[in-house]
Amino acid sequence: MNQEKILSVSELTRQIKGTLERSFTNIWLQGEISNFKLHTSGHLYFTVKDDQSQISAVMWRSRAAQLLFRPNDGMKVMVRGNITVYEPRGNYQLDCYQIQPLGKGELQIAFEQLKQKLFDEGLFDDVHKKPLPEYPQRIGIVTSPTGAAIRDMINVISRRYPAVEIILVPVKVQGIGAAEEIAEAIEILNVNNLVDVMIVGRGGGSLEDLWAFNEEVVARAIFLSEIPVISAVGHEIDFTISDFVSDLRAPTPSAAAELVVKDKNEVVEIIRNFCYTMINVMTNSIDSYKQTIAHLTQSYSFNKPHDMLRQRSQQVDEYQRRLEQNLIHHFKALQQQSSSLSQRMNSLNPKLALKRGYAIVKQEGKIVSSSQKIKTGVSAEIEFHNGLVDVEIIGKRS
Amino acid sequence: MAKKEAKHTFEHSLGRLEKIVTALEQGDVPLEDSLKLYEEGIQLSKECMETLNTAEVKIKKLTKDLNGKISLSDFEE
Repeated sequence: MNQEKILSVSELTRQIKGTLERSFTNIWLQGEISNFKLHTSGHLYFTVKDDQSQISAVMWRSRAAQLLFRPNDGMKVMVRGNITVYEPRGNYQLDCYQIQPLGKGELQIAFEQLKQKLFDEGLFDDVHKKPLPEYPQRIGIVTSPTGAAIRDMINVISRRYPAVEIILVPVKVQGIGAAEEIAEAIEILNVNNLVDVMIVGRGGGSLEDLWAFNEEVVARAIFLSEIPVISAVGHEIDFTISDFVSDLRAPTPSAAAELVVKDKNEVVEIIRNFCYTMINVMTNSIDSYKQTIAHLTQSYSFNKPHDMLRQRSQQVDEYQRRLEQNLIHHFKALQQQSSSLSQRMNSLNPKLALKRGYAIVKQEGKIVSSSQKIKTGVSAEIEFHNGLVDVEIIGKRS
Repeated sequence: MAKKEAKHTFEHSLGRLEKIVTALEQGDVPLEDSLKLYEEGIQLSKECMETLNTAEVKIKKLTKDLNGKISLSDFEE
């Protein structure tokens, strides 16, 4: 009955395959990755080993594309898959559809790997950080149109600084396609130059919920944005790749809204201070001009003409006094002179001679100084010192 | 566009105001010019104050149609 049956290699392999593949499905295997190879086809080939044994493993391209991190040699992992037998070579291998890093979560590893990669590329360098506009007029917000985050941001901005326009670009912030939508929204705002600054973010959630903000496509869109980007993802404690690549990280969406605009009251205060300063400067300036003028009017040089005038006038007074004195002196001299002259004149006065007994003869109103000029037969008069006498000329004696 | 211009005016006005204050503070402006600057500055500050005190946040939502054409509409919370 124990009829021995001779098997062909193919038959045996097929039986082994059937047995193995039925027995080892959906198994979790823990080990260390070695001989990791990413084939150009996109399939991943590697070995999972422990200190005594090893098993070949493969992850097909379709699954590999969904891996958030990149496995590498030495990485401790948990892999999940089915044992398959590759008939042409009689090999068995683990066909993996899930790989999870041990210790750290896969998202954590993915995060660290992308962070390192972008850091090495220089995407986080400070030289790329753009300053935020001081007084933005249009603020872009890339987030979910529902949920607390957008409401919080609108509330904060409205309260702080209402002189702005908010342009909301509604996007999915988690799940399949979220990262692509976020990246596209950032690009649309840039291409159309719609805003002066933008906030990209969402409210709190699990690491998985926030994952879109850790994806490379978002990081690159932020990096390429000409418009300054504030990242605002989750809570204070959540750090994402978006935070590192953005121009400013806000701990929360509300905080981003606080950072993006000044408080209106602060601006009012700034303007008030400008006014006070202007008024002070002008008041001081006018006072100082007044002082300068006062100082000038009191200065020697300004008063010099005045002073010279006073000096001149004093001089004039002096001259006048001296002139007067001179005149008086001169006058007195003249007086003396004239009195002596008058004495001398007096001594020449013919009337005085008359007193001494001389007399003047006049004929026809004229003094007759010579006996030859006198006419006979014409009346004449003789003037004595005390009166006139009419006489008759009766004859001449040669 | 008109909106954008008005808003640009605010930042511009504030910038101009700051320049005026700085110029006046430096004190090397002749009196007559500084009086003109002062008047301009007071006017600018009035305008800025008015903008701040009368402004209301406007919220627009960006949407994209199937052809990829974008448009802005009022956003209702």
